[in-house]
Amino acid sequence: MTVEGFTVFAGAALFVLMLPALYRVAVGPTSFDRLVAVNVIGTKTAVLLVVIGTLFGRLDMFVDFALAYALLNFVASLAVARYLNRTRSMPAKKPAKRRTPRKKKARAS
Amino acid sequence: MSMDVADSFVGGFSLDLGFLAEASVETIHSGLSALDVCGMILASVGLVFFLGAAVGLYRFPDFYTRMHAAGKGDTLSSLLILLGFGLITLDDFSMVGWLLVVKLLAIVLFIMLTSPTSTHALMRAGFEDGVEPVTKGSSSKNTKKEGES
Amino acid sequence: MKKIALAVTVLTGILLLYAAQDFPAWGDLQSPASASPVSKHFIADTGVDTEVPNMVTAVLADYRGFDTMFETVVIFIAGIAIIGILRRTGADADAPALKRENEIAAEPDLIVTNTVRLLVPVIQLFAFYVLAHGHVSPGGGFQGGVIMGASFILVALAWDLPKAMDRLSVDRAVMLAGVGILIYAGIGLFSMLLGGEFLDYAELSHVLPVSREMARYHAMLGVEIGVAFTVTAVMFAIYANLSTRGRLEGGL
Repeated sequence: MTVEGFTVFAGAALFVLMLPALYRVAVGPTSFDRLVAVNVIGTKTAVLLVVIGTLFGRLDMFVDFALAYALLNFVASLAVARYLNRTRSMPAKKPAKRRTPRKKKARAS
Repeated sequence: MSMDVADSFVGGFSLDLGFLAEASVETIHSGLSALDVCGMILASVGLVFFLGAAVGLYRFPDFYTRMHAAGKGDTLSSLLILLGFGLITLDDFSMVGWLLVVKLLAIVLFIMLTSPTSTHALMRAGFEDGVEPVTKGSSSKNTKKEGES
Repeated sequence: MKKIALAVTVLTGILLLYAAQDFPAWGDLQSPASASPVSKHFIADTGVDTEVPNMVTAVLADYRGFDTMFETVVIFIAGIAIIGILRRTGADADAPALKRENEIAAEPDLIVTNTVRLLVPVIQLFAFYVLAHGHVSPGGGFQGGVIMGASFILVALAWDLPKAMDRLSVDRAVMLAGVGILIYAGIGLFSMLLGGEFLDYAELSHVLPVSREMARYHAMLGVEIGVAFTVTAVMFAIYANLSTRGRLEGGL
């Protein structure tokens, strides 16, 4: 097994293993399931960029891409989490359950 | 896992490899160094962890368990794969090689900080939004009906 | 409806993959892009003309500098337009805030804020690196500006918008965007004053203690800094106005 063969294998394996996450994005019952899967795919894309860079022999360039990609992925998932945390799209079904963590926080801060 | 296996994964794209082999021939012709082997082992372990994360993401019954699989497995596998490729890159101990490894370590550190944070933020958003966890009596169908937005 | 959308998406993907077969092979000398004299000219002469290793940056900021200047102006206009449409002033300003159903003001999260506190300086340093290293590696004004703007957006996401606007208020952001274009056009006009044409950076060698080629190199950095100013400011201004429907209060 050469280094090059292993790199190709790792890239292909990363891609193939992203497919279950893609299934979760498409099917996932709640929007949070989709978000988790999107987050996983984003992180793994950053890793995949490093793998591709190793394969092309230009890792010096691809490392920067990977870092920027990881950063934007973080910003994106934080933004969506923040947005979903503020706007409740569902009607408040069990208000008692929902208030509990909120009160605790108010005391802590 | 010979080269053939790797080639069969990518099928038609193998024509690219001739060019790449030429480009990186001087690092590869001398066979595998100890660092290469270590890097490959690390990256393979990382891939196994990612397999676990992917299977967990696919199979687990509710949001929280999926988050458990994805959050931990994803972070650890990213770290291991990146460190593995860092070791593979660190073949010749040149200045450029060291710089690359430092940058890779920066990505590792970055993912190590951000991935759990975004997992936490998503988890909290889900919890406060009232996503129901699966309990002993309930089937996963209950959580599926609720929370579809 | 979802099924139809999925079918259309898959069909489009298959079509695109099928069409991708017609692409010339990687590094094919006979492909139109490689065979045209234009690319030969840039590959052969970029290093001689500008001493910039990264050809893309040289084409973007030097050969095509006029185009890039107005791209920056387009970004500036986009930011101004969004502010003009969304920003509430005058009689509208006192209207009660629009609240969505079940909307709750989220407080800053301890873990998220501490992570962001750690990361933001590193991200801004990375933005400067991408900006200043754009001649050698991929990067430049637009990319560095986006990363810089993302760091401010990260602050606004982790706490709330007023906390980020303490650092960079929208008014100041609009001013910064103008300053960015002013830097760009100013370098162009300055090279005109020194006897060249608009954006003819080589003339700057009269005032800089370097050769004509290196003057192009340094002027490109100046131009990229101008672009980065504009992109950073407009990114943040667009985010601030879009996320709060023009009210500039509360978080996302």
